[in-house]
Amino acid sequence: MTVNTNRLRLHLLLPAVALLLAACSGGAPTTQNAEVANNASSAAIYTGPAPASADVEAFKVNLWQNINMSSRCGGCHKAGGQSPMFARSDDVNLAYSAALSVVNLTQPDQSPMVLKVGGGHNCWLSSPSACADILTTWIQNWAGGGSGGSAGSTQIQLTAPVDQAVGPTKQYPADSTLFSTTVYPLLTMFCSRCHSPSATVPQSPYFASSNVDQAYAAAQPKINLNTPNLSRFYVRLATESHNCWATTPGGPVDCAGSAARMLAAIQGFANAVQTTPVDPSLVVSRALTLTAGTIASGENRYDADIIARWLFKENTGTTAFDTSGVDPAINLTISGNTTWDSAWGLIFGTGGAKAQGSTATSSKIYSSIAASGQYSLELWAAPANVTQTMAFMGGYSGGTSARNFTLAQDAMQYQAYGRTTSTDANGAPPLTTAAANMNAQAALQHIVLTYDSTHGRQLYINGNFTGDVDPVKGGTLANWDNTFAWVLGNETSNDRPWQGEIRFAAVHKNALNIAQIQQNYAAGVGQVFYLLFDVSALTGVAQSYIMVTASQYDNYSYLLAKPTFISLNPKAQPGNIPIAGMYIGMNGQELQVGQAFSTLNTSVTDDNYSATGGQLLSSVGTVVPLQLGPNSDLFFLSFDRIGTHTHTRTVATPVAPAPTDLAPSSDIGLHVYDEINASMAAITGVSPGITSVNATYLTVQQQLPTVPDIQGFLPSQEIGISQLSIQYCSTLVDTPAQSAAFFPGLNLNQTPAQAFGTDAGMDLVITPLINSPAVGIGLASQPTDAQIRTELYSLMTALVNCNASDPTCVQTPTRTHTIAKAACATVLGSATMLIK
Amino acid sequence: MTTVTRTKRAAQRAGSVLLAALLGAQPLSPLMAGPNEQAVRMHNRLAGVPPSDAVLTQMATLISQSNPQGAAQLAMNNSGFYNVTLRNFIAPATNRAQSPFVPLNDYTATVIGMIRDNVPFNTVLSADILYIGNVGGAPAYSPSNNNHYQYLDDHGADLKASLVQTTQSSLTGVPSAATAGVITTEAAAQAFFIAGTNRAMFRFTMINYLCNDLPQVMDITRPPDRIRQDVSRSPGGDSRVFLNNCIGCHAAMDPMVQAFAYYNYDPTALQLVYTPGQTQAKYHINTGNFPDGFVTPDDSWQNRWRSGANALLGWSSTLPGSGNGAKSLGQELANSQAFANCQVQKVFQAICLRPPSNAADRGAAAQITADFKSGGYNMKQVFAETAAYCMGN
Repeated sequence: MTVNTNRLRLHLLLPAVALLLAACSGGAPTTQNAEVANNASSAAIYTGPAPASADVEAFKVNLWQNINMSSRCGGCHKAGGQSPMFARSDDVNLAYSAALSVVNLTQPDQSPMVLKVGGGHNCWLSSPSACADILTTWIQNWAGGGSGGSAGSTQIQLTAPVDQAVGPTKQYPADSTLFSTTVYPLLTMFCSRCHSPSATVPQSPYFASSNVDQAYAAAQPKINLNTPNLSRFYVRLATESHNCWATTPGGPVDCAGSAARMLAAIQGFANAVQTTPVDPSLVVSRALTLTAGTIASGENRYDADIIARWLFKENTGTTAFDTSGVDPAINLTISGNTTWDSAWGLIFGTGGAKAQGSTATSSKIYSSIAASGQYSLELWAAPANVTQTMAFMGGYSGGTSARNFTLAQDAMQYQAYGRTTSTDANGAPPLTTAAANMNAQAALQHIVLTYDSTHGRQLYINGNFTGDVDPVKGGTLANWDNTFAWVLGNETSNDRPWQGEIRFAAVHKNALNIAQIQQNYAAGVGQVFYLLFDVSALTGVAQSYIMVTASQYDNYSYLLAKPTFISLNPKAQPGNIPIAGMYIGMNGQELQVGQAFSTLNTSVTDDNYSATGGQLLSSVGTVVPLQLGPNSDLFFLSFDRIGTHTHTRTVATPVAPAPTDLAPSSDIGLHVYDEINASMAAITGVSPGITSVNATYLTVQQQLPTVPDIQGFLPSQEIGISQLSIQYCSTLVDTPAQSAAFFPGLNLNQTPAQAFGTDAGMDLVITPLINSPAVGIGLASQPTDAQIRTELYSLMTALVNCNASDPTCVQTPTRTHTIAKAACATVLGSATMLIK
Repeated sequence: MTTVTRTKRAAQRAGSVLLAALLGAQPLSPLMAGPNEQAVRMHNRLAGVPPSDAVLTQMATLISQSNPQGAAQLAMNNSGFYNVTLRNFIAPATNRAQSPFVPLNDYTATVIGMIRDNVPFNTVLSADILYIGNVGGAPAYSPSNNNHYQYLDDHGADLKASLVQTTQSSLTGVPSAATAGVITTEAAAQAFFIAGTNRAMFRFTMINYLCNDLPQVMDITRPPDRIRQDVSRSPGGDSRVFLNNCIGCHAAMDPMVQAFAYYNYDPTALQLVYTPGQTQAKYHINTGNFPDGFVTPDDSWQNRWRSGANALLGWSSTLPGSGNGAKSLGQELANSQAFANCQVQKVFQAICLRPPSNAADRGAAAQITADFKSGGYNMKQVFAETAAYCMGN
């Protein structure tokens, strides 16, 4: 069977394949939502014929009651009104018959009714997407409870995408000439302080290298020739204020101006590059966009007891709609620094943000949970960091001191406050996850807080119970307050801001069990597609595809995972197809980053292939950068080898950076701490192991120089050296045998005047010091003998002829010792020893 | 007031004056240095202490005879070369804080011993080797404490004389095939295998033996298929962080850290743990951060830097670039050009007190590196050649 270009939708229902795919995306069945809103305020009392069957009854309870009011579908699709009259109030059996033409009970989100409203037709909210989700929920509930439901699995019909060739694109020129005259000058001028191999602290990539070829190779991943304003060089300046510069002499740092200059340079580069067809040497698949894939997700959650749910699909505006289908909807008003994630999510930024419902609508949480006595809060959330504390992610609260329940982040721990009769009004003490488990990660996490009176509060992260036990379980919810408001990303009082992204939030009126939690974790979040890359022409196998599970991962990337070879022809046999080096391409070019499948080297064989599941090629996934958006980015695959087709990849030889001379530095340096200790020991002959010496060394060790850089010499180091030298000299002088050996002829039992009254007397101390390795004999690199003697004569004479008012100035042998030690330490602790 | 205190006052006053005067008088680059001055500098820098008169004379004579490397070898006979210079040279590599103020340990002792015995230094990350002290009264070596080396430290043991070569496998219980030089010493395990994800061992090995921290070798173009599940692909909801930063290191680091999949440090038993065939639990933490990430099945590793910009690190063409376990990864790293360059750079910095800074320096370093590789990776030869080059004119 051939796929033509007239958007031939091959709804090949492959039951077995469908089963397998259901398992891929979660497996467990969708469970009926037992409770549906009864919007009694506008729905008339039904007086027509009773439902003719259980399925009609399911239709009536789950869908019809929610849409037949005039404010929704009943205004037009009523009896005698616009056909189909699925909202007629006179006869629910006739309404049922009409509704069957506009619903798809197998894939509720693909129901014509849903698609119509999602496209903007008579949505009763400001967001057609929210109306579509609510309708989907109602139809899903009908399907789950009626004969039309698949009762356990979602049958996914793989649909062959519209055939599309890989488009033309701009390729990087082979040589760096154009780069060197456009972008490179800015890079060398403003980025070389870090992004150059000759930088003081080099920071790869070296796109500002003095070697332009090296810089060019490193710069390519940061430049987008096809869409220059997506270039990382530009984005980094424009939105991240990274290393901006002043654009006017003496002016302030100007990120906007810096970004504009960079963008102009990149545009100058891009404009000079001609658009060319995709590299003809590549072996490529056919192409498709993300949204042209087969929708795969969102069907397998356990939502039976949901009472409020936010999907954050809006992507615009200041309202996040409650799409649970349970009235009244707690639509959240968004304030503060928030950003929508087009991959479905709401980002709470720095400076505080909040999404809060009214107390009136929030009271449905109170009324539902007060009756059930248990609840669950379910989030898919990505904390922005793991340092924020007292950061409230979501809760039903009245302020910082009163709440029904709240989930909070405290660095790498989560905290669950929950008011019961066993806690205070603030829900304290909280259940806190163990610090050692570091449960909170700056990554997308599935977080579920459950409460029931038996277990108290429990937390589950990514489908696993954290193991933390509620310190005060056993209370009831009798003391809950129905005047509080539902809030996400903060406290109602705005003083507990949380930073991060919430991609899904729901409140259940029961305590989900582990199986239900794992079911919802497995169902994932966001819209998942199966991208079918047509490789029929490359493999010779009819309708053969590389199927990749794909989704928009966040505002900046896509997730592509689990490539699988599969044919839509259930009778196809692949034979033996080697596949190696599979690269992801986008908009005509292979991507520079995220090529997780480039290492693939396998073969599709009849033995490993099954018509139902194909053959998995890789079990991992990868994130690749978003460029133009999910409706425009055109993906393709290229192969080094597939079947008999090969592409020889040219691997560029990296260019060695040109060496750069460093500033001249001192030719001499300092001995460091243990060298000083060892040197003093070697010079004096005093053992460093002597207790008093070792104690002094250990005291001053970290005060001594630790690096030889003479420019870093500090007064504190000088003091430490002095202390150590005094200790060594004190030990030397006070140890008679060592003293006699070092200072031959010196009589320390004389008074200072007797011992050092003459130059000859002082020389008995000075000469051994000069001749010792502390100075060395006849070394031109040391001060001269005379210079040293002059200094020491001056010192010793001053100490001998001390001022009588100085209480230490006593003419006894004790002072003789002191003067000898001082002279010794002066030399030992001087630069003659210290400099090497 | 004690004698010592009084002396301190006097000497500090005088010492400050003399020190300042002498520093001021000291020429920044000694001119016309003769053999004596060259010998003193060489000895000071190699041994960390000034030479005795006799050694000075011998060294000066050798220098006069155009044999400065012979003079350097003489200086390296001084115990200070081992107890001071080499210890300082190695100690920062043995701990995360990169502090030199750490007790002697099996890592430091092993490197000192290898250099003393001229053991080819390109086995420092792969050999089944260990040095212990032959000092009376010292407690026996134990893999679960540092008492043996602490004793040597406390008693000022002469490391040149007292170190004895043995094997890790004979003393630690780790099979010889699983030993990997200093990587599998207890000190390294305690510093870099403790808790975490074992990535620290790789990062610090890169810093200490290839002279490149991860920011210097980031390459976002490497395939990310072996980045583990614990690495968020969208930290805080912003995948740009991953695509422009995280991936640059993890894409190549994670496939190499896989070599350590069977290693851990047990903080209770206080020793290295090796579990052949069983990947450590730390390789499977935070799997929910990116469920589609790589799940580590074994200790097979691959060097993804053999292509791309980091091919410039100069990987050995005689090695396959992949393998199992720490030993073969250690061989991969230590037989790279970057390893040889790094050892010479470190010695050059230690002896010349600067990195190779100009064409002459770079030429000398290149020659020393070439000699290092062709001469059996002899570290003392590197010290000697470097000291000769920087002995002054």
